[in-house]
Amino acid sequence: MSAAIPSVACLGVIGRNKSATRLGQQLTKSHPQNNPLHISIFPSYDPTANAFTPIRNPLQFSLLLSSTIDVFDLRSKTSTASGDFGLLHAIDDRLAAYGFETNTGVRMVCIVDMRGRRVEAGGSGVAGQGGGAAGASTASSTSASAAARSSVGSVGAGLRDSEIKPVFRAMQSAYVRLLQNPFYDPDEHAPLGGKGGRRITSKKFGDDMKRIGEAWTPGVTTL
Amino acid sequence: MDGYPLGSLDHNVPLIVVSGLSSDPPDQPAKAKGQGVLLRSDLPPLEGKEANFLESYFEEVDERGKSWTVVTREEHYRLRVKTVGRTFVLPSRRATLPETIEPLTTAPILHSPFSPLSPSSALYPDGLMNAQWIKKHQEEIPSIFVCFHTLTSDSKIAVQQDNRLKSALNGMRATLVESGYKTRLVVIILGDAEAKANLTAEIIQDRLEGVRRGTGLDPKSIFYIPPQESPSELRRVMDSIFALLYNTAIEYYRDLGRHARKKRSRGIVPQPTLPPTSGTSQTLSLPDWNFRYDFKSAIFAEFRQEIDAAIRSFEQAYEILLGQDVLDIIPSWSPRWNEARLLADIISIRCLRLHLWMGQTSLAVRRWQSHRDRISDFVDRRGRGTNNYGWQAWESRWAMVMANMIEMVEVPGLGPSTMTIFLQPEKALFGERLQPWELLHHTGYWYRIAARHLGARRTLAHRIPDDDRGAPDASPASRVASKAIRYDTYMCPPPHEEYPLNGNGINHAQLMIDCLLNARGQFQARKQHRIAAEISLECAREMATLGSWNEVLAMLRPLWEDKSFRSEWWLDISEDILWVMRRAAAETGRADIVVAIDWELMNERFTPRKKWHYDLAKSLDGVSSTSRPFITISDDVASSFISTSFAFRSKEGRAGETCLAQLSLKSEALQAAAPVTLSSIRVEFEGHLKPITLIHDSDLPTNSSETPVSVTLVALTEQLGGDAKESDESEKEDKNDGDGDEDKAKDEDEVEVEDKDDEKEGQLTGKCDLTLRPGHRQVFEMNIPLREPGQASASRVVLTYKTDTFELDYMLSLSESGKVTGWFVQGATKPRLSRPDGHILHIQPRPPKMKLRPVEPLGQFYANEPIPLRIGLYNEEDDSANVKLDIRIVGKVIPRFRVDAGEHKREVDAAEEESQVTGLALGHIASSSSLELSIHLDPAPAPTAYEIQIRADYHLESDAATPIVQVLPIHLNIVNAFEANYDLMPRLHPDPWPSLFDYEDLQDVSDGDVVQARGLAQQWCLVCHYASFATEDLDVVGLDLAVTAVTPGGRCQVVNQPELSADGMIVAPKTMYEARFGLVAQKITLDDRHPVAIDLAFVVRWRRRRQLADGESNSINVTTMTVGQYMVLGTEPRVLASVLHSSQEQAGLVRLDITIENPSSHFLTFGLVMEPSDAFAFSGSKQTTVHLLPMSRRTKTYRLLPLARGVYIRPGLVVRDKYFQKVLRVIPTEGMKIDKDGLLVWVPPAPEAEEKAEG
Repeated sequence: MSAAIPSVACLGVIGRNKSATRLGQQLTKSHPQNNPLHISIFPSYDPTANAFTPIRNPLQFSLLLSSTIDVFDLRSKTSTASGDFGLLHAIDDRLAAYGFETNTGVRMVCIVDMRGRRVEAGGSGVAGQGGGAAGASTASSTSASAAARSSVGSVGAGLRDSEIKPVFRAMQSAYVRLLQNPFYDPDEHAPLGGKGGRRITSKKFGDDMKRIGEAWTPGVTTL
Repeated sequence: MDGYPLGSLDHNVPLIVVSGLSSDPPDQPAKAKGQGVLLRSDLPPLEGKEANFLESYFEEVDERGKSWTVVTREEHYRLRVKTVGRTFVLPSRRATLPETIEPLTTAPILHSPFSPLSPSSALYPDGLMNAQWIKKHQEEIPSIFVCFHTLTSDSKIAVQQDNRLKSALNGMRATLVESGYKTRLVVIILGDAEAKANLTAEIIQDRLEGVRRGTGLDPKSIFYIPPQESPSELRRVMDSIFALLYNTAIEYYRDLGRHARKKRSRGIVPQPTLPPTSGTSQTLSLPDWNFRYDFKSAIFAEFRQEIDAAIRSFEQAYEILLGQDVLDIIPSWSPRWNEARLLADIISIRCLRLHLWMGQTSLAVRRWQSHRDRISDFVDRRGRGTNNYGWQAWESRWAMVMANMIEMVEVPGLGPSTMTIFLQPEKALFGERLQPWELLHHTGYWYRIAARHLGARRTLAHRIPDDDRGAPDASPASRVASKAIRYDTYMCPPPHEEYPLNGNGINHAQLMIDCLLNARGQFQARKQHRIAAEISLECAREMATLGSWNEVLAMLRPLWEDKSFRSEWWLDISEDILWVMRRAAAETGRADIVVAIDWELMNERFTPRKKWHYDLAKSLDGVSSTSRPFITISDDVASSFISTSFAFRSKEGRAGETCLAQLSLKSEALQAAAPVTLSSIRVEFEGHLKPITLIHDSDLPTNSSETPVSVTLVALTEQLGGDAKESDESEKEDKNDGDGDEDKAKDEDEVEVEDKDDEKEGQLTGKCDLTLRPGHRQVFEMNIPLREPGQASASRVVLTYKTDTFELDYMLSLSESGKVTGWFVQGATKPRLSRPDGHILHIQPRPPKMKLRPVEPLGQFYANEPIPLRIGLYNEEDDSANVKLDIRIVGKVIPRFRVDAGEHKREVDAAEEESQVTGLALGHIASSSSLELSIHLDPAPAPTAYEIQIRADYHLESDAATPIVQVLPIHLNIVNAFEANYDLMPRLHPDPWPSLFDYEDLQDVSDGDVVQARGLAQQWCLVCHYASFATEDLDVVGLDLAVTAVTPGGRCQVVNQPELSADGMIVAPKTMYEARFGLVAQKITLDDRHPVAIDLAFVVRWRRRRQLADGESNSINVTTMTVGQYMVLGTEPRVLASVLHSSQEQAGLVRLDITIENPSSHFLTFGLVMEPSDAFAFSGSKQTTVHLLPMSRRTKTYRLLPLARGVYIRPGLVVRDKYFQKVLRVIPTEGMKIDKDGLLVWVPPAPEAEEKAEG
């Protein structure tokens, strides 16, 4: 018998939203950016086709990511200082968005597909792991599936907020690595007074996101 | 929730029937003759306002009873109340046998008409349960039957009436008992005002007791309501009665529940009245019956509001239903299959509701999900699968059920006002691994899911093959049968109605829109604007499929206008919105929106759409528009594919000069887009710079080079405000030539309108080629003449685009602060010299070339001398200038002054603080000529300072528009020419003192007017040491001492003063000079004993030496310096020493006179002691005593022979007042001095020694 376990459907990084009051008085007028810096989409298992395909199209994922900004805004009034927003909202019975805000106001969103992957309960392998998730490193996927099996075995198919934390930790360190690149200018991607901004084009960052999204499964503690 | 049978989902609360408050509807008796139990009484119904009030109040209670909200402990009762007249029909307990049945041998066992055992029931023979049964308990069989009656107050007929009442009640009781229903009978006697007046409490008590006994009711079943003061009182009483009755009612339902459980525990399958003869002739099995009993117990528990018990029974029933024995064995083609599914739904909904009531929100979601999963599993396994529209319809329904339920149950903490998106799990599930969805989200999410499933339903419906879409009568029966098997029609129409071949089926889009609008409202209420926008977009797409383009536009316009997504660079989303909106705008003929969106979509950041023209000229192709629209959009509504920047070459410029500036236009259009040719560009400025208009001129050679940047130099022609009209014509012609359109006339009009606006301010125009290819940067370099000083910043650019079909003005703001702009050079793609705020230019005022300067260098001016200033204006401009002059003097006190400039003269009187001459027109000064003006200031009485500002406002003849200002500030520090210090030294007055004894001399003999002074006189010498503080030599032509004031009773006159030559004396600066003045002070009378104060002033008359050379009138300036006040002619005695040097013959003999004056009125005695000295020999008394009468003086003479010459000798002379034993100071006079040891007498050197020294 196979069971569906959660997987990452989409990882997004959204431009900073600090109203700049902390940065300086003269910048108070600057608009929140809220522009998409990065979007990675991951395929989910589709039982009808027995294949891996993204559960939504890129436009829909964009909409999903942008919709989390409202929740960030709504929660930011009461949010904790840690920046971990936990579950932002569940989009429906399958997708749920989790959020994290860095202290510079960059927001990271992880959209989890609660039935994105299938494991043979007690079985030996992950069905169709290689199907859609091209380029997934085999090592990470096997370890992920092993962890997933154990998590499915012990508890139900639910998900705790804390289980997403490794994703954000990994995303944040990837983002920090990106910032350490002297050729990356964060202001270019989220200009203070200007309109819009560029997306993150770093291939390394994209690879990092891809690795995080593919490797994560409930129970994984480090990515 | 609509699809579920009426009553199947109601919130079950005890039912109470109230009779006797209103009359029966006339058709009521007709029903009574059918089957059923008729409860009736002949007593007339109550009347009056209390009855009416109660009736309306019961309606209110009933309404409250329909609510789905949880019944809390605080709520005393929740009832459904049905008011009837005096008759009420209960449904019959036993079903009748159908008439078609042939008589049976044995007496049939009859069952309830709702039971599957009765052939008349819809459930016969193998149905499980239906809503009819619930409805029966909720609406037809009351738990309590309440009769309202009244007590008659007429004592005559009281007994008779009471008996009637008794018999009526007895009759009803009997009917009820006979019927088998356990409905309780309750009597409420309503007292009226009449009864209150006539009957005492005891009588009422007795009569009530009588009625009770007569009818065998228990004391809890009879109530008396005394007449109440107010409706609210009555309501309160009624509430308390209901609260009591509520408990009774609960008991009633408990009995029913117990009965159901008892039947279940029997464990036997009851046999139907008649064995089924049709269909499968299958009857219900034991699990079926158990299901029925569990379901019933659950419903009765719900009646009692026992939530736990209800859930338990429902879950039990649900498990049985979905277990192996019930639903599994019903064939899916049977209608019972769908009935069973319906029952499963109903049970689930009721369970959900119970969970929500208990606050178990997450459990509710879990229940919701598990039901869906189980049903989906069932449908997949046993039914027609989940890959059809029927399943999606149910999925959407199921989501809607949850949404509706959350709204109807009013789940606390999830209302829009709370701004919560989802609820935290209840305590029981805390810490469990939950699905995110198991946290109950607000209804917006549920509506959205419903809409999503509706979408899926439509997709699947559209896949129905045409064969199945025809009406059933048109196709062979076999096909109909196969269709029935293939399509899941549970709670949704069959395929030929869902998506018929002909005509309209289900309007899926409308259903979705309704759903989405519901969802949107919820999201908007919680400020989730982005989701709301997303839903708007979905809505708009659905509306587009319906073709209601106006609605699409109305839906998307707010999104477009507030730039949602676009301002935050969610490009794919904004692109989607734009395309949908463009289509809607095109369909509705909104040319402005179409063009604006086309303009925006040209930007290369959007993905190119294949086969799209990307040509603005073709924008309105296919858009029906009545007139040629004139469209104005700005960059805050629609972003542009043309980015502009404006830069001045330098930060500063000067008025009257020109400044290079660049306007750069970069087309960021998609590569596939057609080049855009703008008709004109207008750059507007903030500050003193005229707008620049660049007009497209197709005659000019087109810049066809493939370089990404091309820099074009544009010559600007300037039109001044007044000159606009003259050039108007020519410009118009140019424009028309350039355009060459058919609708020239129209163009002309517009041009004229434009020009009229510009006439006021004038403008700069240039002509160039304004074609922009995608990816190309066109830089226009202009030389802008600067006119007025100040700051100018380019504020916006208006791009005008004209085609035959429309005209577009696109406004771009340039005034973003901090924007970095650079300078483009031909051949380089990147700008150089980037700097922030390059669009701002500081225009300095035009540098004045008119020179203002003093004709001669300014020297030092002194107090008491008139100050002449000569200022020359030298016009070094290239053109003659028209000058006006302002002169402003600031100081403490400004003396009168005169300005003299040729024929223009102006005089201003003395003033405090400030004085000025304004607008002194000097007329034209030709180029490189000059004009001189002089300013004469009257003498200042004292040292002071003046700030003089001479300001020449002028403009050149050639450029009247540019005002030029030249200013000459002059600081004048007026100082005193002289400073002096003074010594007043006593001298011996040579005249003898008047004698007291000389009567004639003392007597006042008035000789005419002059009063001769007869008092004591003293002679003094004022020594003035003065120095010139001037910077140059001055001529002093006179020195005077003026006695400015003398105390009355005294007089003072100057007896000698230094004489100067007529040419005066040259006084060098910073050198001390001395002047001595002799003074004689005298009192008028001898009797006057007061000292006399004299005030003196030292007057120097001087003139400047330099003036002599000029040959002008050398005015003599008078500087008066006050010396101060001195006290003379005191009454103290004084000793004056005077020395007289002998003549040449008596070589070196010195006579020293010691004169002791006694101006007092006392007799004084003085002792004189002369010490011998080595320095001289002397003759005279060495020691003597001098007696002095009042008002007298005496002189003692010593003759000294100095032993040395040319030195001071010190005669050791001591004068002592004998009486006071006080040594008097000997005051030296001429040729003597004094130090701390005493008197010193100068012995002049011997004549030969003098000669020697001279030689």
